Amino acid sequence: MSGAYFPKPGFDSEDDFGRDLHTEHQVLNMGPSHPATHGTVKFLIELDGENIVNLDIQVGYLHRGFEKECEAGTWYQAVPYTDRLNYNSAVLANVAFCLAVEKLLGIETPERCQWLRVMASEISRVADHLTRCGAACLELAAMTPFLYGIEARELTWDHLEMLCGARVTSNYVRIGGVKHEMPEDFPASCRGYIARTRELLADFDSMVTGNRIFIDRLKDTGVIDRETCLRYAVTGPMLRSTGVPLDMRKDEPYLVYDEIDFDVPIGEVGDNYDRYLVCVEEMHQSLRIIEQCLVKLEQLGPGPVNVTDPRIRWPAKEGVFNRMEELIQQFKSVTEGPRVPAGEAYTAVESANGELGFYLVSDGSAVPVKVRCRPPSFINLPPMAKMLEGALLADLIPTFDFINMVGGECDR
Amino acid sequence: MFHAIVRVVPGSVIKVRREEKLGFLERLYVPAIAKGLRVTSRHFFRNLRGFVTGKRRTDFVVQYPEERVDYADAFRGMPVLVALESGEPRCVACGLCEFACPTDCITIVPGETETARIERHPEVFDIDMSRCMFCGLCEEACPEEAIVMSREVEIAAYRRDDMYFRKQDLLVPEALLKRRLDFLRGEYRRASEPAEAGE
Amino acid sequence: MEDHASPLLRRLIDELPQALQETHAQHGDATALVSRAHLLEVLRFARDDSQLDFEMLTDLCAVDYLPRTPRFEVVYHLYSVSQNHRLRLKVQLSEESPSLASAVALYASADWMEREVWDLYGIRFEGHPDLRRILLYDEFEGHPLRKDYPKERRQPLVGPGN
Repeated sequence: MSGAYFPKPGFDSEDDFGRDLHTEHQVLNMGPSHPATHGTVKFLIELDGENIVNLDIQVGYLHRGFEKECEAGTWYQAVPYTDRLNYNSAVLANVAFCLAVEKLLGIETPERCQWLRVMASEISRVADHLTRCGAACLELAAMTPFLYGIEARELTWDHLEMLCGARVTSNYVRIGGVKHEMPEDFPASCRGYIARTRELLADFDSMVTGNRIFIDRLKDTGVIDRETCLRYAVTGPMLRSTGVPLDMRKDEPYLVYDEIDFDVPIGEVGDNYDRYLVCVEEMHQSLRIIEQCLVKLEQLGPGPVNVTDPRIRWPAKEGVFNRMEELIQQFKSVTEGPRVPAGEAYTAVESANGELGFYLVSDGSAVPVKVRCRPPSFINLPPMAKMLEGALLADLIPTFDFINMVGGECDR
Repeated sequence: MFHAIVRVVPGSVIKVRREEKLGFLERLYVPAIAKGLRVTSRHFFRNLRGFVTGKRRTDFVVQYPEERVDYADAFRGMPVLVALESGEPRCVACGLCEFACPTDCITIVPGETETARIERHPEVFDIDMSRCMFCGLCEEACPEEAIVMSREVEIAAYRRDDMYFRKQDLLVPEALLKRRLDFLRGEYRRASEPAEAGE
Repeated sequence: MEDHASPLLRRLIDELPQALQETHAQHGDATALVSRAHLLEVLRFARDDSQLDFEMLTDLCAVDYLPRTPRFEVVYHLYSVSQNHRLRLKVQLSEESPSLASAVALYASADWMEREVWDLYGIRFEGHPDLRRILLYDEFEGHPLRKDYPKERRQPLVGPGN
């Protein structure tokens, strides 16, 4: 190499070539309104060239005072707010909250209600994973698989709408039951949906999973090991990708998950590729669970989906319209709300991102003292700074995608 | 500090199929491109066929203002008041929806009427749609089937004041809400059937 | 002290009787009220003991019981992946000195959750490496999840032009 081709001062001699260049670290602001940050998080990235030296994650842009709002209304009125935590899979948060309240009340919901809840949760889980995998493809510049993922999610949400009445903010689960029974044409339509989603997932798979560009972007990026996961209390697909088969549906079976046959997929390396594969496999398992729920619901036949105690669940409308006692009961339960015995309880469910827990404290009145949501997004996010130490800036995008931080849940 | 832990959970655990080493063909970009083209062209021709014949639409793009999707029966749009044939609301201003609403977006001022059948009616019934979150608790609380969730969602406005709906803006004749009312009555019937069978 | 048929609590009571003020197992959740001075000792024991083996600090939050004294309670939820059991530890704090030893050195997950508790309740964690607001902005006045913070209160506008 001679100075003729590199006429910069300081590079004239061979001795200078290996000299350490004193470059300054550059601080890059990414977000809060960057397409890849899903609108709600800011990264302060200290860069050495293209390598990340230090990463400061700043959350809170979507803080809406969820806990404060819940403590201002009755137990009943908190249910619609839980929809707004993880807006990709609202039913899961509904279920978690209602299970926690039911634990405080010491009641058990009818069997049919439990199967309906499981089915609705699994449909939401599919929607959540589809969003995660689809959006990750989009942000890695693969537009077409994103469209197939979103088509499947569209179908998923159509079926949530059939079941719950709304696509995103479902508000389906109630304390002591569910909003209403599934429509009569739902099982047939849902089976069509499952078949179509499997086709779309196969297309998605054939375009992405074995694709070299995709693998090059994901493999060995954002690696996290088992010990770091445990120290940071990381759960969900992120922990399972490191090979720990922790799944609340298996470990602390709630609802009727102990009667359902499904597998827990695990990875081994703990990189983004493993997380992607775990998510895809979980979608297939969720579809299996939905099928089993449909079969079981048809076997069970019509039956109650709500507890009959009018102090907990609002009385059935037929009675309210026609009989005096139920009308009085309706007035009492709406204006006062269920009175939850004093005490504290913590319930965890397996949400799409990990353990979603609710810690509730009641003083015996109709208004909660404390509604604490243990948000998996918030807790899975901090190790990201560790996972990306020394990595390239471009690795931040897939890593953040597969952590799947959802602003509503992280910031509450 | 940490033990090497992998507890065997009940039920089966499967390991994901991870392609550790790519084959020569996979490392070339050409087969991936061919595979991708095959999938996309299959989708393209299927959509094209559906679009031309109009038989089975598989494309998800809806030409919005001209075409609209049909929402499910259970769909919850904005809450409206059911109007009787006389044009008066069915509402008796009991205030249960006001109590049930988590966001306090309903304002009711009750008044008395001269007609014998319904003695109370709302003088004022306002819903602040900019706060309403379409949760449907008002509909569930109503003992008179007077407030229901319509199928209307296109309520965007340029000013906040335009999102404040008065009683007159909310009144909808019963005939227009037939689908929702039929759905609700069907649900109510189904909800009380098993209970009565068990008694 | 009772053991509530929970081997977890029995073990804690046997090993660290001086640190525990009260135990219960309401709704099946093993719970121990720990004295403020002994919190880190209990946490360390829970993490390192081979029978308890709590690898995870799943959740950390605070509760404000306003008219009561002591007013605050900081709640730790521990989970053991290998043993599949849970434990809840609670520490009571008075209104005058709402501060507590930080658990970040023991559990890395405590980092953000302690920042959150500081942000929303104004409880200080001594020894936390970087205790700043997390969900709210630096100019925010007060700690909104305290019961005496009115829900309707407005905050001053911040940012350029204000």
